Amino acid sequence: MGVAAEDAGGAGPCAGAARAARLPLSRVKALVKADPDVSLASQEAVFVLARAAELFVETIAKDAFVYAQQGKRKTLQRKDLGMMLCWFSLFSFLGTLD
Amino acid sequence: MAERPEDLNLPNAVITRIIKEALPDGVNISKEARSAISRAASVFVLYATSCANNFAMKGKRKTLNAGDVLSAMEEMEFQRFIAPLKESLEVYRREQKGKKEARKDKDKKADSEEQDKSREDDNDDDDERMEEEEQNDEEEVDN
Repeated sequence: MGVAAEDAGGAGPCAGAARAARLPLSRVKALVKADPDVSLASQEAVFVLARAAELFVETIAKDAFVYAQQGKRKTLQRKDLGMMLCWFSLFSFLGTLD
Repeated sequence: MAERPEDLNLPNAVITRIIKEALPDGVNISKEARSAISRAASVFVLYATSCANNFAMKGKRKTLNAGDVLSAMEEMEFQRFIAPLKESLEVYRREQKGKKEARKDKDKKADSEEQDKSREDDNDDDDERMEEEEQNDEEEVDN
């Protein structure tokens, strides 16, 4: 289950980066379990994966926004993600996500 | 594999919130873009898991650990994630430690008050640790 950020022991200098995962660990766990080669994963591993996925989302959104800005738009559209989709075609062995 | 990719989606509300917080105020995101990012995040986790698992196997370990995931980040060329991930992990470890100690103290107190306290609710600690009791070699192997 997700850990509440409020429990992070007071105002730390690294509050932003060290914020606890907001993605529910149970869903991330389901993704990890989907891999037939993985037998066990520690709770910490699932946590780090969840946090990494969040960082990934942030990164993709920011990168895509650059394209939206060039198009003088304030709404991120699918076409702004074009670069990223090329990256994902590399991982098509994981199955079609359409 | 039995699961279809749609079943492995991450919650839309959380994805949307993360995106909005990463972007300046007043910026919106279309449903299609949000959906594409969400699916990309799922692929990211799947790929990172597979990559991390390679490191675990290299180390002759059956359990994927946090270090394996960090190694996977390096491998996937997301080095810039490593420092913030390490920080988050530290905070997480401290929180988990605090929780455990709080629970231990609570149990000690409860035990001294009621001798017949049931320990059923301690099981969520075990539930959080993922274990697959049945390996896939007994079921279908669709590779």
